[in-house]
Amino acid sequence: MVSLAVIFAFVTPINWQIGTGYSIKFSSADASGIFKTFKGNIVFDEQNPAASKFDVTIDVASINTGNGLQNKHAKEEEWFDAAKYPVIKFTSKKIAKAGTGYQVTGDLEIKGVKKEISFPFTFKAAGSAGTFAGTFTVNRNDFHIGKPGGDVGESIKVEVSVPVVKK
Amino acid sequence: MFKRSLILGLVAGLFAGIAAVIYQKVYAGALGYDFATIVKPLNIFAATLIGGIIAALGYWLIVGLWLKEKGEIIFNLLLAIASFATILGAFAYKLPLDVEMPELFPGLTVPMHFFPALAWFTFKPLFFKPVQK
Repeated sequence: MVSLAVIFAFVTPINWQIGTGYSIKFSSADASGIFKTFKGNIVFDEQNPAASKFDVTIDVASINTGNGLQNKHAKEEEWFDAAKYPVIKFTSKKIAKAGTGYQVTGDLEIKGVKKEISFPFTFKAAGSAGTFAGTFTVNRNDFHIGKPGGDVGESIKVEVSVPVVKK
Repeated sequence: MFKRSLILGLVAGLFAGIAAVIYQKVYAGALGYDFATIVKPLNIFAATLIGGIIAALGYWLIVGLWLKEKGEIIFNLLLAIASFATILGAFAYKLPLDVEMPELFPGLTVPMHFFPALAWFTFKPLFFKPVQK
């Protein structure tokens, strides 16, 4: 019975609830901002990253560039087309230990285009809470966001910081 | 003429500042956003006074030194055009990302950009008598 409990504890992944104060920032030449609404399911075990899973969404309409006209523009058809594609999805397929941190590979879906990406992230545990942090770059042309060229850089740096608490 | 023009500019700037601060209070009451951390009363008064001083220098140069009476319409046109032009800055202004509703920012600041010109035209008859034809 004890051994069963130990095995169960070992294989049961830890569910984390996304806390307040998360930050989803993006930046490129001539455009930067944040997404204010982020939600999803985070299952993560430092001891067993292979059993971990991220399934998160970002509300496109929650974009904030700091400028009202840019916000409106960003939600229009040429850019994120928020009416037709209201969320950005990321679903992990593989999470593995990588150096002092971790590496996640998964499908990023923006504007109806799904593309596999892979990026490193860290997890800093603090008791029953913790913070995920990661940075990656996407090419907006891969997702048909805006027209190629123009003032807005094609390479978009995304910085994610997500505080979590154990469920 | 320079002195009168400068005093008019300062008076117009001061009253435009007062009007802008009142407008900010009314705006905050109506929409719940006053952008008080960005649009501070001190900044408002500095901007409207600078606007008034620039108008005073422009009036002195155009009407006082250059075109005399014919300069009135040119100056008025330039002041109106300049006021319109400055609203581009309000639309292009990038607010800190923790500001929730940047969409409401132009609604607050665009009218303020016309207050110095409005105050100038309002108080001008007290400083300069209309040209008799």
